[in-house]
Amino acid sequence: MATRMVTLRLDPSKATLAEIQAKYQLRPDQVDPKFGVVSVRPEDHLYAVLVDEQVASRLEGGEDVVGSFSNPKIETFGPPRKR
Amino acid sequence: MKVLIQLRSSGAAHQAATRGITAPSVTSGLESAVSGISIDPQYPPVQLPGVQTTTGAGIRSLGQPLTFTLDPARSTYLVRGSIPDGASQAAALQSAAAHPDVVGVFSDPLIESCIVCPGDPPVGNASDVAKRLSVSKLVTKKMDGHSVFLAVVDTGVNLAYLKSKGRTPKLDIANSWVPSGVSTKPGTHPIDHGTMCAYDAGIAAPKATLLDYAVLLSKTPGSTVMAGLLSDAVLAYSKLRTILNGMPVAKRAMVISNSWGMFSPTWDFPPGHPGNYSDNANHPFNLIVASLETAGADILFAAGNCGHNCPDSRCAFGAALPICGANSHPAVLSVAGVDVNKARVGYSSQGPGRLTAKKPDISIYTHFVGSGVYPEDGGTSAACPVAAGVVAAIRSKYPVSKLSPLQLRSLIFKSAEDKGGTGFDFDYGWGIVDPGALLAALP
Repeated sequence: MATRMVTLRLDPSKATLAEIQAKYQLRPDQVDPKFGVVSVRPEDHLYAVLVDEQVASRLEGGEDVVGSFSNPKIETFGPPRKR
Repeated sequence: MKVLIQLRSSGAAHQAATRGITAPSVTSGLESAVSGISIDPQYPPVQLPGVQTTTGAGIRSLGQPLTFTLDPARSTYLVRGSIPDGASQAAALQSAAAHPDVVGVFSDPLIESCIVCPGDPPVGNASDVAKRLSVSKLVTKKMDGHSVFLAVVDTGVNLAYLKSKGRTPKLDIANSWVPSGVSTKPGTHPIDHGTMCAYDAGIAAPKATLLDYAVLLSKTPGSTVMAGLLSDAVLAYSKLRTILNGMPVAKRAMVISNSWGMFSPTWDFPPGHPGNYSDNANHPFNLIVASLETAGADILFAAGNCGHNCPDSRCAFGAALPICGANSHPAVLSVAGVDVNKARVGYSSQGPGRLTAKKPDISIYTHFVGSGVYPEDGGTSAACPVAAGVVAAIRSKYPVSKLSPLQLRSLIFKSAEDKGGTGFDFDYGWGIVDPGALLAALP
């Protein structure tokens, strides 16, 4: 299933997987542990977690949830290929 | 805009044209009468023969019978110049066309002998690129990348291969990173795109300390060979920011080269969707890019290979603008490609950009014989690390405490060799990076 990055505005002391799972009632397998909790804009206490689409839809509009964003494929540009 | 101006016959113009010498007196009246017009003082007037149809009627087609005469009284004379771009262009054209000496004003477009496309043979080699970049001058100033972290965010680097090609970069293994599930270690990854990028960064910055970020080797479900997901790049940037913040402010110098992006808008939510990446400053990757630049990193992204003339076969943007997401971020240098003859390669993506319109920012060399990983180091994939090497070379002597990323970008723009339209244009950005001129512009 496709994944999304969900951004959350959190107290830095509570920016842990355990705190997030508890706050949003998520099972451990519903938040990607390899991605973890990534600070994307420290000055705004903004963090990202990686979840599947269904979980992202459930989180949208929740307390301290800023947004749910695409996780597109990325690819090396080169070497350029002929049409 | 460059223009050709056709002047009526005059004795002075004919004399200059015959002798092949310039004649400022021929055009001085025009320059003083038309605001913003500038005549090229190096370009002598060129005689255009008088022409008429056999019937004496006006010319409707170049297919009809025409007769020509070099009688000076019936000839006209071409000079070369430029008129302002933007809002004042129409007034300048109108004023020039109304001048009594002027027959007409015509565009003087850039002509290229043969635009380079995917699959074309290489043009020049890494030594040619080094000459164009004035690397010997940089070395004289001890600007070679020493004391600078140069992160290659790509498919990973193979250090043994680089050494076999005469490169001897340092690699900071402890501060490098591989996504989970990747079995190879930093510096020992398969020889591929990332190794090419590391080689090309070494043209101007052979002594930079490489950070190997093999994001495009990701084994994340959904990724394919030489691909990953943007969340892998978010993780990588988070780690790079931790490293940067751990450096003393007085010595902070980190350059990040990114020769990747998206080939299709279908990989993303559409514009206007709140979760969209391509056009959305609030996307977490766009935020972390801004945050890393604020912390002092110089971030470079390839503009992409979806140029109008001969786009990469993977390009699926159609009429949509291809320079999107972080490749169009206002806090990064978005890099277009030119060959060593300074002609834009036909696949280099053109602006405007999606997050900020004025993209690409600058151009630099690509499509040359270099690393040997491919027949040529091509694409904006090669241009980006070539530019990153120049930035890293400068950073050897100008850490962020002396020159912020924004200040350095501004100097690169100001010192670039203008190509295409006057000033910024969507093909070349501000022009071709000119390290010789950049050295002179540094504080």
